[in-house]
Amino acid sequence: MTETMVNLSTSDTLADSAGVKIQPHVSCHDFSVFYGDFEAVKKARMEVERNRVTAIIGPSGCGKSTLLRAMNRMNDFVPGARAKGKMCYRGQNIYSSDCDPVELRRRIGMVFQKPNPFPKSIYRNVAWAPKLNGYRGNIDDLVEHSLRQAALWEEVKNELDKSALALSGGQQQRLCIARAVAMQPEVLLMDEPCSALDPIATSRIEDLIHELKTRYTVILVTHNMQQAARVSDFTAFMYMGELVEFGETDLIFTSPKQERTQDYITGRFG
Amino acid sequence: MTAQFVHLLEQLKRRTLRMASLVEDILMESCEAVFSLDDKLAVRTIHRDNDVDSEEVEIEVQTIRLMALYQPVGCDLRLLCTILKVNNDLERIADCAVNISERARHLDPLVLQGHRDDLVAMASMVQDMLHRAVEAYGAQAEQQARDVQSSDAAVDAFYAQIIRAIVDDAPGHPDHMAGHLDVLSIAKNLERIADHATNIAEDVVFLATGRIVRHDTI
Repeated sequence: MTETMVNLSTSDTLADSAGVKIQPHVSCHDFSVFYGDFEAVKKARMEVERNRVTAIIGPSGCGKSTLLRAMNRMNDFVPGARAKGKMCYRGQNIYSSDCDPVELRRRIGMVFQKPNPFPKSIYRNVAWAPKLNGYRGNIDDLVEHSLRQAALWEEVKNELDKSALALSGGQQQRLCIARAVAMQPEVLLMDEPCSALDPIATSRIEDLIHELKTRYTVILVTHNMQQAARVSDFTAFMYMGELVEFGETDLIFTSPKQERTQDYITGRFG
Repeated sequence: MTAQFVHLLEQLKRRTLRMASLVEDILMESCEAVFSLDDKLAVRTIHRDNDVDSEEVEIEVQTIRLMALYQPVGCDLRLLCTILKVNNDLERIADCAVNISERARHLDPLVLQGHRDDLVAMASMVQDMLHRAVEAYGAQAEQQARDVQSSDAAVDAFYAQIIRAIVDDAPGHPDHMAGHLDVLSIAKNLERIADHATNIAEDVVFLATGRIVRHDTI
């Protein structure tokens, strides 16, 4: 897996023969996820651009979190879950036998709905995974850099030894983002990262997402349609496992092509 | 949010349609005041503009309120944006109708007689355009709106014809100058109303399709 991904580094930003199309950073092609016999995601097709924020919206149970988790094979941990079709990262199918899911998750990090810091110091929360993975640089610099990227450094720089559990919910979520960033991923998956936060903390995370996209590709699942409209460049609407519409956020929220999208974003159902 | 919001949105749309009906009425009366040289009718029309002005402000306040409270998207957002713009155009049409009525109050009957046929035809066409634009708005009918757009050129042609007639007549009849200026002003205001009706029609196309069709060159 490691070799496969390293080999991709020269080809992933090249234009195609027409000189126009750039290879998507993450893409799925007729991609389905099953829980036993239940098809939670049905032949989804989507191409996620590099350094853009893509939001996945849809009513509860539509399969959006399942699709997100499939992007770094987190569903591997769910008993009875299986995938069909292609889910590609930099053009390589991540469900092929030569893909190392551990390395994949280093490249494609994840931030969960509920902040889940380790019951350790702020410093160790950020430093722990890089150390475990044999990070050879200056770990202090990495911690500071990651906390800065997560817009948390100024608030915690004088109390790095404090327990992460003593931070507010919003700070804990930013710490989790710093923790994900410390692994130097290329893609950040965020599963409703603000749903447990108050409006001020939510606003900070949204500002942060804007900044993060200069370095990372962000894919975000959210129940909050205004949030999707505010922070994302592209939006995918899912309904009952089907990826109904995918397009530029501006268009999805002003002139969606599909009636089901229109009905959902205007609150007619869902 | 849905049921209450949809109800309020529908109410607001109906309110704009009622305002449109009031504006159509004012326009019809102002044209009638011109052709019948009816001073009382002209004055009444001028006073009715106050109703339009207060309604315009109320509709704007309600529209902004719905935008702020419900943060609409998709077709709801397009409808609210359209309401704001149609509201503005209707108010301007009423202003033009007032201008026409003011000219009607001291119009020279002799000069009017020379342009009556053109003015009657132009006024009738403009009223018809406005009516069809409002109907298209009510029905959110794209094709009907596009038909209105295509009528604007005919109104412009009438306006050009009236200007030519004035230019031809003016040198031989300097005493008609004041009357000609009144006729010119009436024709100009009718032409402006046709432009506003076209704006409404273009907004209806946006409402129905999400496409902005105001400028041919874009």
